[in-house]
Parts: sequence; structure tokens; C-alpha cells
Amino acid sequence: MATHQEIETLLARVALGDRVAFRRLHQEVAGVLLATAARVLQDRSLAEDVVQDVFASLWQQRTPAAADPPARSFAWLCVIVRNRALDQLRRRPREVSIHGEDADGDEVTYDAASDAPGIFEQISAEQDHQLLQTCLQQLEAEPRQALLMAYLDGLTHAELAERLKRPLGTIKAWIRRSLMSLKLCMEPAS
Amino acid sequence: MKPTWKDHPQALERLAGEYALGTLQGAARRRFESVMRQRPDVAAAVHAWHERLGRLLAAQAPLPVSEDAWPRLEARLFGSPARQVADEPKPWYRRRLGAIPAGALAMGVFLGVMLAPLLEATRRDSQLPESYVGVLADPAGTPGLIVSSLRRGSTVDLKVLSPIDVPAGKTLFLWTLDQAGVPRPVAPVPQGKFVSLKLSQPAEEIFFSAVELAVSIESAGVQPSAPSGPYVYRGLCGKLWRLPGT
Repeated sequence: MATHQEIETLLARVALGDRVAFRRLHQEVAGVLLATAARVLQDRSLAEDVVQDVFASLWQQRTPAAADPPARSFAWLCVIVRNRALDQLRRRPREVSIHGEDADGDEVTYDAASDAPGIFEQISAEQDHQLLQTCLQQLEAEPRQALLMAYLDGLTHAELAERLKRPLGTIKAWIRRSLMSLKLCMEPAS
Repeated sequence: MKPTWKDHPQALERLAGEYALGTLQGAARRRFESVMRQRPDVAAAVHAWHERLGRLLAAQAPLPVSEDAWPRLEARLFGSPARQVADEPKPWYRRRLGAIPAGALAMGVFLGVMLAPLLEATRRDSQLPESYVGVLADPAGTPGLIVSSLRRGSTVDLKVLSPIDVPAGKTLFLWTLDQAGVPRPVAPVPQGKFVSLKLSQPAEEIFFSAVELAVSIESAGVQPSAPSGPYVYRGLCGKLWRLPGT
């Protein structure tokens, strides 16, 4: 996996119309972008479409006159994919309810947080992620989980309250405090 | 007037965070978006939050990507080279400089501005000798390298505007790119701010089919047949002479 700095260089070269860099960028980041979209959409096929659309836009809108600002960082590219996935999610009804029945009629609970490995556990020791790992570690476990579920799974306050079985006010306070702690930790000078 | 949340930096910062996180919903989200459109400081705060939180997304473990993902994307964007050239609308600077591949669009506006006065001067009084000229951009999109050669000359002059660090044992290498984007090697570029390199063939033979010029970093002493990495400079190859009928 390329470093974030290498990915930024690739993005800059893509902005120059460098097809070699475009292909390399795809090789390097498509997997993470797919994970980002799939986590929100819970549908691999739709997630693949979102990633394809974002890559196509990245190439087509790279001119200086393009309406949207170009992605300058890996994080920003991930945010674009997440937002496209959320738009997609909001355009269609939730196909999988949190509670349902399996083929045998037994009650099952679908929980995005438990279906896939938690992001906190996934974060590698790569240098690019060390600060993030440290800052997440400083949050208490439940508020951290709420923050990650809100961001990665696209859940609202109400959905978080339902999933985590906590009062809405508690969820809101957790999110508020976690955001500010994260900011202070990641950019102490700002 | 009574101060509102819009007047409190702390409240705006918190809302910017909730907006980027996605937990600011409904009417509150729409109100915040309205403020964001009018206030660059609020938009900047949201941007900073996107960058901050986006690192969470970037830290995720990748999923395996389908083998046909890149071929599908390539077919969607580029199709066949002939179709690409035919389908793309040509802005004024492309019409002026002749057929330019899609890869040059990123620098099109800038180069159009840079080269247009030269072309106009050529048209008016033909004071400039017939030459090939390229203003190549660096990865940051700023002018990085000027490449020029007399049309019937045998040397290329290069002026570095934005130096690139070249590792030991490596050298900058000049390429031409034709309409299909196919690179052809020209020669290694000597180090220095203003340098010349001797061509193995007349400039007309090397540059006539070029619509772009590009520079990559290659191993010193090696004659590459294709770039081994991304280009560090790239831009249009302008032909400065009067065309028949102009």
C-alpha cells in the first residue's frame, strides 16, 4: 500500500492527465474505497458502482475549470466515496432491517458493527495511521463505537440509540465529546 | 441584533463536525448548509473536518477488487483511442494547437494562456522562428519546464522553472506522446537550470507527431522503451509556425 503522501502525488499527477498515475492510483486505493462504500451500503455490487463513478468523476473533472474541487488527499477521496454511498443509500429503502427472520423463521439481528471487523481493530500500525490510532484509543469504548458507527455505517443519532440501546441524549453527548476530543488530539495546535 | 449560534465559533465548530460526521440531519442540516454557502470560514471548518474524519475511512482494510474493475473503468473512460478523439469536444486552445489527446486537458487552460500570445505573434509578423515549444507542468500543476527546439534543428533547449529532486543514479528523461498517448523516448535530460540536449534525429522527425511532451525519472545510462513511473512534468507540444490557410 502506498503512503498517503505517495497517493497525494498520484492524485496531483492524475490532475495533469497522467494515465499511468491514474491506473496506479486505482491499484492502490480502490480496495479501501470499496470497503468504504460497502460498509455504508452493505451491498458489494452497489459499492463497486459507487467506486467506479468516483474514479470516472476524478478523471473527467480534473480540469482547472471543473465545478467541483479536485480530491487532493486520500482522506478527501474516501470522503467523496462515503458521501456518494450515503446518497445512494438515502435514495433507496433500507433493504435489510435490523431485526428480521432467517429462512427457518428464527429471529436474527443484523448489526453492521458486528458483521465486519471493527475499524478500530483494523487500523494498522502504519505510520500514516499511528496518530489516528492513538487518538481513538483515548476515547472511551462506547463513545468511540458510536462515533465510528455514525461515520462508517452512516447511522443517525436515533439509529445509534436503537442499536446501542442508550438514550438519545447520551448518544448526542458521546458524539459531541468524541468529536472535540478527536480534534484536540489530532491537531493540538489548532 | 441578538447573537445566534452563527455568531459562536465553538457552536459552529461543533456543528461543522456533526455535519461532516453525518449526524446533523434534517432542517438543522439544511440551515447549516445555507450558512456554509455564505461563510467561507464555516466551509473551511467543514473541509477540515472532512480531512480529519476521512482518515478513519482511509485506515480501513481494503476489500479485494474485482479483476474487471480497471478494464471496465478504462473502457468507460477511454474506449478506443479513435472514439475518444472523435467524441470529445475541443476547446479553443485544442483547436488552436491541433489535435490534443485527453491527457493534455488538465493543463489546457494554462498552456492556452501561455502559448496563445506566441501563436498570435507568429501569425501577425512571423518574428519567431518555426519551433516546437512545450510548457510542461509539474505535479502541483504549476509551470515546471519549458522545452523548445527549432523545427529543423537538432538540439532541444530546456529551462527548469520548478526543479524536481532526482535521486542518485537516476535521470530525467524526455518523451513525446502521440494522439493515442503512446510515449516515445527522446533523450535523457542533463541536470541544470538551463540545459541543451543533442537529438539523434532532426527535431521535425521526433516532434512532428507529438501532441504532448512529458518527463519521467529513469535509471541513468539506460535507454528505456517506456516510462518506468509516472511523469514528473507534462504538457502540450506546440508547433509555432504558420499553417496553410491561416
